Parts: sequence; C-alpha cells; structure tokens
Amino acid sequence: MLTSSKPDNDIFNLLETDLNKGFSLVVERYSTRLYWHIRRLVILHEDADDALQNTFINAWRNISGFRSESSLYTWLYAIATNEALALINKRSRTSAVSLDDLGTFFANSIEGNTWFDGDEAQVKLQNAILQLPEKQRIVFNLKYYDDMTYEDMSKVLKTSVGALKASYHHAVKKIENLLTGN
Amino acid sequence: MKPNDKIPEGNPFKVPESYFREVNKKIISATAGNDMHETHKSFRISLRQFLAIAASVAVLALLTYTGSMLFSPGHESLSLNDNPSETYPEELVNDIDLIVLEENAVSLDIPEGRSGMNNQDIVDYLVQEDIDINDIYEQL
Repeated sequence: MLTSSKPDNDIFNLLETDLNKGFSLVVERYSTRLYWHIRRLVILHEDADDALQNTFINAWRNISGFRSESSLYTWLYAIATNEALALINKRSRTSAVSLDDLGTFFANSIEGNTWFDGDEAQVKLQNAILQLPEKQRIVFNLKYYDDMTYEDMSKVLKTSVGALKASYHHAVKKIENLLTGN
Repeated sequence: MKPNDKIPEGNPFKVPESYFREVNKKIISATAGNDMHETHKSFRISLRQFLAIAASVAVLALLTYTGSMLFSPGHESLSLNDNPSETYPEELVNDIDLIVLEENAVSLDIPEGRSGMNNQDIVDYLVQEDIDINDIYEQL
C-alpha cells in the first residue's frame, strides 16, 4: 500500500548535504508510483514515459526552493498530475479530439495495446473510468489505486476534502453502474 | 486499494522489461547527474565573491572619501571641533550645563531651609542673574 506515511527525512537530510545524491534518491523512491499514476491517466506507455521524465525534470528545476515543511509526496504527485494533464490537453489539440471525446479516444487505445494485459473485466473497468470527467477520474485513481488520504489529495489537487469525498463517492457509483449495465 | 465487489482489482497495464531501472538512469543523468545545479552553484558562488569584492571596494572608497573630507583643510562641517561651544548655540550649551549644575547642586547636599532656598531656587536665581556658567564651574 503506497501512502504518504513513509517519512522522507532521510531524503531531506541528503538534499541538504548533497543535492545530487538526494535527488537521485527521490527518483529511485518515487519514479514507480508516479509512473503508474500518470499511466492510468494517459493510458499509453510512451506518453507516460514522457510525462514521467518531464515530472522529474520539473522537480529538479524547483528542488532548491522546495521546503521540507511541505510533503515531498504530495508535491511530486501534484507535478506529475499537471504533466499528465498537459499531455492529455496536447493530445486533444494534435489529434483534433475534443476533451469530451477523450474518454472514447483513450478507450480505443486500450484494447490491442501491447502494454495492456487485462482480462475482459479490466477492459470494461478501464473504459468505465475513462468515461468519468477528468478531475473525477484523477480522484478515483488516487483513492482507489494509490489509497491516498483525502488530506493528501487535497494538497495535490487544491480541492477541499469534502469535495473530494463527494467526487469519489459519485465516481464509484458511476463506475459500478457502468459495470453492471445500469 | 479499497475493496469493492463490483470493481475488479489488479493492474492491467504493463511496462517493458527493466523499464524502471532504465528510466531512473535516464532521469538521473538528465538532472542530478549532469551537474546542472553544481554549475549554478558555482556561478552563485563566484557571483557572491564578486559582490563581496565590489562591496569592499565601495566601502573603501567611501572611507577614503570621508577621510579626505574630514581631514582636508578648510572643511568645517565634518571636522572634529575642539571647541564645541563655538559650534553649538550658546543657549543649548547653557541648557545642558543647567542639567549638570542641578546634578552638582544635589551632590553638594545643601540642607534645605538653611539658607531659606532649595536647590531649584538657587539654580533659578543663577539663571535669572545671568551668571556665567564657567565662573560657577571654577568654584566647584
């Protein structure tokens, strides 16, 4: 279970004494979970790869100004989320696909994709998730897959805890209805 | 992951073999591994040194200018005047001296009532009579 409870004090200490080594540790500790968060949003591996690298380049540029009072975890997730959304918006422009149709666009990218190995139930689930509005999709993913607390999510998405709880509740209901054919 | 009977668990997405090891190397070489921050740090250090040198030169120049003004002949406003009374108004000097006088009158411990006057009366008398303060100092 990936949570923010794992302390990053060792990283903060290393960033203070040796910035390069400290940041290398940041990459090693966070790259996998950030990749999966991005991947679930952009679907394609190649796009997730690009967004992941951009995330860490962005983080590296701003690491000197990062204050240890904030959480490294939520800070990185916020950057990753923005990079994923930027990529999605760019794709909608280059593919001439409206943001409303992106769900269908992505759904077509799932089946037959080399880097997708899910059964029929998983295909249906991923298609259902893609039908959610963008922000609700992010909330669902962060809660369902990353088991992020609402407090952390609030910092990542700059949304109140109450709104996030409501969003997740509605997202789960929608997905359940789509999966059961209601 | 929150258990939900209707929503299947698991991760259907895959990555190429050794992907995470390779991408970590790529990221590190593009960031922490290419001394970008070191370059910036050394730039900041040399800039700091330059500013320190510039500040020192400015201070030295100011001191030199100030010194030349202080010790140049005919420059009055910044000179160390041996006779401050010639610079400051007489009234101001007398006011200051009155405070000193009052303090000295107290230290003389003249019992009140002996002469019929208290210390403040004596000071007031002296001021009224326009006694030269320096004459009084000579008596103390």
